[in-house]
Amino acid sequence: MSYAYLFKYIIIGDTGVGKSCLLLQFTDKRFQPVHDLTIGVEFGARMITIDNKPIKLQIWDTAGQESFRSITRSYYRGAAGALLVYDITRRETFNHLASWLEDARQHANANMTIMLIGNKCDLAHRRAVSTEEGEQFAKEHGLIFMEASAKTAQNVEEAFIKTAATIYKKIQDGVFDVSNESYGIKVGYGGIPGPSGGRDGPSAAAGGCCS
Amino acid sequence: MLESELHDLSDDADYAASQQQGSASMMLRSDSIKQNSPRDGAEVVFTKENVAIHPTQFASERISGRLKLIKQSSALFMTWIPYKGHSTEARLSDNERNLYTIRAVPFTEIRSIRRHTPALGWQYIIVVLSSGLAYPPLYFYSGGVKEFLATIKQHVLLVRSEEDANVFLVNDFQNTLQRTLSSLELPRAVPLACGPSNMSVDESILNENQERADNDVNNGSSSVTHFHGRPRQKVDPARDISIQVLEKFSLVTKFARETTSQLFRENQINGFSERRTPIQTNIDHPRRSSHVEEKTSDESCLALDSQEFDNLSLVWGKPRQPPLGSEEWIIFLDSEGRVTDSEALRKRVFYGGLDHELRNEVWGLLLGYYPYDSTYAEREFLKSIKKSEYENIKNQWQSISSAQAKRFTKFRERKGLIEKDVVRTDRSLPFYEGDDNPNVNILRDILLTYSFYNFDLGYCQGMSDLLSPILFVMDDESEAFWCFVALMERLGPNFNRDQNGMHSQLFALSKLVELLDSPLHNYFKQRDCLNYFFCFRWILIQFKREFEYEKTMRLWEVLWTHYPSEHLHLYLCVAILKRYRGKIVGEGMDFDTLLKFINELSGHIDLDATLRDAEALCICAGENGAARIPPGTPPSLPIDDGSVYAQQDEIL
Ligand SMILES: Nc1nc2c(ncn2[C@@H]2O[C@H](COP(=O)(O)OP(=O)(O)OP(=O)(O)O)[C@@H](O)[C@H]2O)c(=O)[nH]1
Ligand SMILES: [Mg+2]
Repeated sequence: MSYAYLFKYIIIGDTGVGKSCLLLQFTDKRFQPVHDLTIGVEFGARMITIDNKPIKLQIWDTAGQESFRSITRSYYRGAAGALLVYDITRRETFNHLASWLEDARQHANANMTIMLIGNKCDLAHRRAVSTEEGEQFAKEHGLIFMEASAKTAQNVEEAFIKTAATIYKKIQDGVFDVSNESYGIKVGYGGIPGPSGGRDGPSAAAGGCCS
Repeated sequence: MLESELHDLSDDADYAASQQQGSASMMLRSDSIKQNSPRDGAEVVFTKENVAIHPTQFASERISGRLKLIKQSSALFMTWIPYKGHSTEARLSDNERNLYTIRAVPFTEIRSIRRHTPALGWQYIIVVLSSGLAYPPLYFYSGGVKEFLATIKQHVLLVRSEEDANVFLVNDFQNTLQRTLSSLELPRAVPLACGPSNMSVDESILNENQERADNDVNNGSSSVTHFHGRPRQKVDPARDISIQVLEKFSLVTKFARETTSQLFRENQINGFSERRTPIQTNIDHPRRSSHVEEKTSDESCLALDSQEFDNLSLVWGKPRQPPLGSEEWIIFLDSEGRVTDSEALRKRVFYGGLDHELRNEVWGLLLGYYPYDSTYAEREFLKSIKKSEYENIKNQWQSISSAQAKRFTKFRERKGLIEKDVVRTDRSLPFYEGDDNPNVNILRDILLTYSFYNFDLGYCQGMSDLLSPILFVMDDESEAFWCFVALMERLGPNFNRDQNGMHSQLFALSKLVELLDSPLHNYFKQRDCLNYFFCFRWILIQFKREFEYEKTMRLWEVLWTHYPSEHLHLYLCVAILKRYRGKIVGEGMDFDTLLKFINELSGHIDLDATLRDAEALCICAGENGAARIPPGTPPSLPIDDGSVYAQQDEIL
């Protein structure tokens, strides 16, 4: 399938907050609690539609463990969007957000769109971080915010799509020079009008498989 | 066993000498600045003698050298050149010395410097490059870390990391901007043979450095050729091949030598030399085909290597054998159960692996948990002793009351992390599947016990992947624990929190690819992929996620034989990369694409073929290859001094 744009996303946050589960819920629409822990990075991809344009999301699910950070940082480069995830039932995962954010700001491009996700909201009875605190943090740091559950799929679709919509809007507003791939955006068929719009490199590559 | 050698320099004459030298150089320091003052704009702003690298865990095997900061126009460079001909270091080869030489790395390529000031022992620094790769620790035998940092601060922006007061970030303020700018650049058009690190420093300063560091006059130029490893000279290409091949073979193992002559004939028939040019023009220098003739022989040699090895692998990778079965196993044992010829056993397992039923009996031997010369009875005895020893260690955490646990954050965190991870380890296998699977609890107990047995190392992700097949095979908690302990004796440093072990692995890998597949090396260099982070998972969990379970067990027992090299896993990486070089280069993969490609190779790698290639590469590389692997790179058997895992941070 060809796409108008391809966006690179990264998912970051402490180990065990449910990054891989969120990805799997989004790409395969299932919750797989026995999924292996992540070493290094894993990939997922899915097509979505925004403004009637097919957009391919290429998602990098990184390992959360502290000691892997020196390696996983190198994966931030050229991401258009980031999902920064914490676990609403584990306070420390919320406390670490600032350091994740600093990492992202330092190693990713400045215009990256960041979505803050308070995951596992199905476990409301074990909540250790209130919704307001999440909202507050997001507001202070200029992030989009949502609580979600990889288990029930609540807000999962929305989180990924809203991030894409924000990126799309930035493109429309001319924030990015989309011909520069360091912003994590590739233009496929029908992406931008004009001579470069019909570039068939990326769309042809996407034709073979949807990875 | 070798404890006395470790960090014990009280009677080390060389140390005393170096101390003297050190203080002398302290006095000379300010002079040397004047001596070297501006010549063609390059100025030495800092010199420190007796800055050493410890290639192994033995401090006595250090390589000492001179650290300098050099300023040219507005750029600051760091060099570290090892001394030559130091008496106690005679057994270190030039190769080893060259391996570590730091040749004018510009500070624009340095991301951070981490300072370590242990209460006992020498101060050292770890320099991390913007690629993410780090140099081995540089030990300041004559002190001066503070001075070093202060000098840097005068010339480039150096800020203390907010996260860690011992980490100094270089040029950090520009970071985002710089990155954005550099990513805007078109693919670099720098000649491939010369790295960015020695691009812009005045050659005369470098040569001078070189000469001053060379105590051995006769050898004055040998280290200039550095990693290229060969003198520059114009050679007739056709003759060149045989010379190069002979030269290489003169260094390789006995086995290699025996095969050489036969191989030679075959290569000549293959039209070996004719295929050389296309390789260079198509892969090595896509846009410079018309300049092939102008290239130095240096580059030709490098391009040649890979071609040569491509051919060799076809010839040398011995066919794999069927796994060792019980009937044949008996032959390796004497009547009381001793392995009479452990070398022969290791060789046999290397070429064929083990029947699954034998694993339970043989893994403990391969891992060094049981000595090869132990009898059946001794092994049974050891097993029972070790069982109670295990229970003792396990009891250490089992007896922690909940009141005590409340005040024991580190324990709670470790336990929590392990509990989270064992339920995410191989749960799709029947052995670990389902709710309340007792084997999952055993995984947890062993890992938690191990984190008490080796409290400094603790628990780190990836360990559960390594333990899972071991528990599956041993099917006994205590036995699995001790086999895991033996494995961690080999691989433990890979799990160090500062990633030192993994960095030395990736460093070694980059050197091996440079030796064994220079077109690929050049390609990675051009594409800014030299950090080899895409091989991280392969190495950390020894390909566990790349093969099915059965294949992983096969591979591991093969690796554990340490035949023909203890670092076969690195050659395996090279073999896989080499196999896909055409695709990687042909499709012009960048870092992201490459990472994704490598990840997706999982499940598609042909183990037997790759092992054959790896064996061939290992034999071809011979001592040349071994010399490129920093001593001490896991799984070099470590020394039990208790400080190997010493951690500075407080996390877990
Ligand atoms: N109840 C509930 N559990 C969840 C949810 N998301 C994830 N989990 C559980 O949390 C655990 C960790 O999830 P992962 O997706 O593996 O965590 P991760 O963030 O990818 O962790 P690392 O790979 O180690 O960085 C799993 O065992 C899941 O069962 C959720 O929305 N609700
Ligand atoms: Mg994960």
